[in-house]
Amino acid sequence: MGSARSDAPGNSSDDGLLAAFKIVIAGGFGAGKTTLVGAVSEVRPLRTEETLSSGSIATDDLGGVGNKTTTTVAMDFGRITLNDHLVLYLFGTPGQERFWFMWDELSYGALGAVVLADTRRLDDCFPSVDYFEKCQLPFIVAINCFDGAPRYDPRDVRVALDLDLVVPVVACDARERESVKQVLITLVEHVLASRPAPAGRKAATGTYGAAPAAGTYPLASAPGLERPIPARVDRRPAPA
Amino acid sequence: MPRGDKWSDRYAGPVVRPYALTGGRTAPARGEVLDLIAIVATTEPAERENDSIDLTPEDRRILGLCLKPVTVTDIASATALPLGVIRVLLADLIARDRIGVLQQRPPGGQPSADLLKEVLHGLRTL
Repeated sequence: MGSARSDAPGNSSDDGLLAAFKIVIAGGFGAGKTTLVGAVSEVRPLRTEETLSSGSIATDDLGGVGNKTTTTVAMDFGRITLNDHLVLYLFGTPGQERFWFMWDELSYGALGAVVLADTRRLDDCFPSVDYFEKCQLPFIVAINCFDGAPRYDPRDVRVALDLDLVVPVVACDARERESVKQVLITLVEHVLASRPAPAGRKAATGTYGAAPAAGTYPLASAPGLERPIPARVDRRPAPA
Repeated sequence: MPRGDKWSDRYAGPVVRPYALTGGRTAPARGEVLDLIAIVATTEPAERENDSIDLTPEDRRILGLCLKPVTVTDIASATALPLGVIRVLLADLIARDRIGVLQQRPPGGQPSADLLKEVLHGLRTL
């Protein structure tokens, strides 16, 4: 691939955009993802219409794909300019399960993820938690405090979601810019903390993020091992 | 959609179907699929901008946006074209050496601690 002006993506300064980061905003349907993105984005939450495949196309590399139709996905994204060479993008995951493949694309190379939880439907965020655990992407859980929704102690939510102890759980109001800012700060702090400690500035090659520091991600250190999901489902908090 | 249910101007949607712009191709001719936040820029300053009759209006639009480094997402958003279309058009422009990829994605998935601290600082001072 031809490279233009700068050949060293890691080095800073220079003109215009230098580093772009993405953060994935996940959570169940109606958990407030769009609201959260909108609260901090400098652009209106834009929606990128993604045409996945088109039935009108006669190229031959679509072999094996049965009854394909044109499908359109709306994807929320927001943009935050941090300084003259750092831009942060927030991508909301598509809610429908049939678009799960898009999660891979959104998560690949992402800094981390925020799982937005609605305490009225806490089980909606199980798939997100499972997903990020499986792909070893650092994530935090943000409880969106809806008006009138039962308030739980973040500790109870942690138990209900069967989260690893290192995963931060915070309460937030997805409508409030300051609150969302705090959520993002918590995530980046978590990402920093969960970096493999001594490997400091050596960029990991190959799979995502090298080996986690011992004890940081017990689950992640044994990728084949998954937590039994029934336990997670059973341990939901009793209403306060 | 505005109230009144009139489909006019931009609310009427594009005149041509999105993938007509790519000649029906849904995947880049060759090369890696560009990441959402891959950064691209024109290989040369503006003088070549209008020298070629084989550039479509979309190509010109994209080249205009790429005068300074810009992400794929921002191009898709500025042109209001589907991401898939943008990726095909960008790959064509890359193949023709009109633009280059400055950064495909954070190498190895994890940025340096220094960059992360800069992100943190940027967020705190927002």
